[in-house]
Amino acid sequence: MEGQTVVLALAAAAAIAIPALATAWAQSRIGPAIAASMAEKPELSTTAILMIAIPETMVILGFVIAVLILFRGGGAA
Amino acid sequence: MILAMAKVRILGPRDRLPDVLRSLQGLGVLHLTPPTPAAPVIHAELSPQQERERRHLLSAIEDVDGALAELSPFLPAPARPGPPPSVTTSDFARWARLASRVRRATDRLKARATQIEEERALILKYQGFFSAFRPLLENEARWKNATIYHVLLKHGELDAIPRLRSSLASVIGDAFEFYSRELPGGETALLVVVSAVAAGRVERLLAEARVQEIPVPEAYGGRSLAEAIPRMLARLGDLPQEADGIRRERQELARLHGAELRRAETAIAHRLQALNALPLSGVTPHAFVLEGWVPADARRRLTERLHTDVGESVVVTEMSREEWQSEDAPVVLRNPRLLRPFEAVIALLPLPRYGTIDPTPFVAVFFPVFFGLILGDIGYGLVLAAMGLIIHRRSKPGTVLRSVSEIIGPCALFSIIAGFLFGEFFGDLGHRWFGLKPLAFDRGEAMVPFLLLAVAIGAVHIVVGLILGVVSAARDHPRQAVGRGAAAVAVVLIVLVLLAAVDVLPKAFFTPAAIGLLIAFPVLIFAEGIVAPIEFLSTLGNILSYARIMALGIASVMLAVVANRMVGMLGSAVVGVMFALLFHLVNFAIGMFSPTIHALRLHYVEFFGKFYSPGGVRYEPFGAWTRNAGVTRS
Repeated sequence: MEGQTVVLALAAAAAIAIPALATAWAQSRIGPAIAASMAEKPELSTTAILMIAIPETMVILGFVIAVLILFRGGGAA
Repeated sequence: MILAMAKVRILGPRDRLPDVLRSLQGLGVLHLTPPTPAAPVIHAELSPQQERERRHLLSAIEDVDGALAELSPFLPAPARPGPPPSVTTSDFARWARLASRVRRATDRLKARATQIEEERALILKYQGFFSAFRPLLENEARWKNATIYHVLLKHGELDAIPRLRSSLASVIGDAFEFYSRELPGGETALLVVVSAVAAGRVERLLAEARVQEIPVPEAYGGRSLAEAIPRMLARLGDLPQEADGIRRERQELARLHGAELRRAETAIAHRLQALNALPLSGVTPHAFVLEGWVPADARRRLTERLHTDVGESVVVTEMSREEWQSEDAPVVLRNPRLLRPFEAVIALLPLPRYGTIDPTPFVAVFFPVFFGLILGDIGYGLVLAAMGLIIHRRSKPGTVLRSVSEIIGPCALFSIIAGFLFGEFFGDLGHRWFGLKPLAFDRGEAMVPFLLLAVAIGAVHIVVGLILGVVSAARDHPRQAVGRGAAAVAVVLIVLVLLAAVDVLPKAFFTPAAIGLLIAFPVLIFAEGIVAPIEFLSTLGNILSYARIMALGIASVMLAVVANRMVGMLGSAVVGVMFALLFHLVNFAIGMFSPTIHALRLHYVEFFGKFYSPGGVRYEPFGAWTRNAGVTRS
């Protein structure tokens, strides 16, 4: 039972850690590009917000999966 | 909603064109467009005299704007623009001369102020250098036949010191003295004393080392820094008085000419609008034609005004719907007072096309709901409401800040309502202090119900978006409308199947819903082609994206709970309370920023993607000049 809890915890951690790294990588590429675009065209600010917020979907869904693993798997219940 | 527009054509004798344009400018409702090309009609052109007048006015308004920009700190806030003053050609000439004179004066004062600022910065730099080496520099007479170099190294250039020292040693041996001091700003000051005969070689060396040498400025006389510094310090004492003198001169210019320049700005811009409108007229040898857009409810007013001002010789006709394309019509959003602030959210995107749907009412409902569900705290909601009230009180009507304050109101209200539902008052403080209990569920504990709520709201939002897509595409793209309708039905059926499968709905729903799905999919593929399944999967992904409401909401409540725990964790109650307040402040800042960004994203990407058609033309009626509208310069 303890082994199962450890596996569940590791799975939940991976479910959030991997998308978090992916989000960070995506935002690190988008951020400078959109900042450079905004320097030339300030009217792109709305697009900038969207571009920065879009990769966050990955980590948010990762978080949801992590919660489901912990709760449905009985790890945190 | 998008206001209904009518396209009108105005015909009349050519000699009445100036009167008609004057009357139209006075009314200010017609958005002029170039007339439809027709055989005898040519575009009117400005006469050489009008062209010359336009050039002069453009030059004059540039001077007026330049002068007003410099004098604006000393002028009262501009009043609401009224009717333009009646002016003559000599008024324009007088204003042009005045604007040119005041502009020259303000430019001169600006240059002088910049010079004073630069001089002050330079003296302060020398002052720092002098303070660092004061004892040495005051006795520099002891270095006979020596040349002294003052060098400033920027922060992070410390490695240049040993390099410089060894280069000096290799070039002139040990015939030099070398002193370094760190300045308060993080820079490093170097004092290098070398024999006069080696000066040439040392200068070359310093140039090659690319270090910043500070020569003794000639303007302050003296050959040494010790002699120049007292003069510099005396000058430093004079500079504030000079800066004050410049400020007083600007103030005096503003007092003498500010009001007149404002009048000139309004009148010149008004006249430029009129001159810019003339080339939008079509003319024949004896007649003129004007075309443009008016809000449908203002059409009768336009006709009556023209008949009153110009007479019955001018005819106004409404062009039939077949004669114009809906994408050419300008767009005016008109919503009830309560919903109007949310037009600011739409204003961040290109306007919707005429004939499509204005999403403002939907944004006004869903945006505060999403915001409230994420923040979801009575305490934070009250603080937000107080902030909204302060911003409202300090902002002027019609400004972006006023719209923001009016959006904050409903967001704060929904945060408070959600706070009661989740039983949160600054996190778990409400529960600990006065036993506040959640009316629905505790977000910190019941994560799965919160997730289901977020996804359910997402499903509703997306289905509403798809239905709006059906309405929007129904007239011009019926096939697309069928596709969106089938997608909406499929989403509803999937929800029914899932609910029946987990026994939330009776099992009897399962089979009909599943059969409905089997019918909806072929319809979807028929309407939208082979990409339909991928599109539909992306729609389901859009619904799952609403899970962010739950994720951000839980992050918000957890941070608030951690902040409250700080009080007991840090030993000293006072330090704990300070840390807790700091944490709550950070959480509140995140709690304002994060829900806004994500609620906007859910609208712009997930919701608008289903129906929004950008590309609308802004309604810019030919009328009295306003500061916000500006004037077309080209």
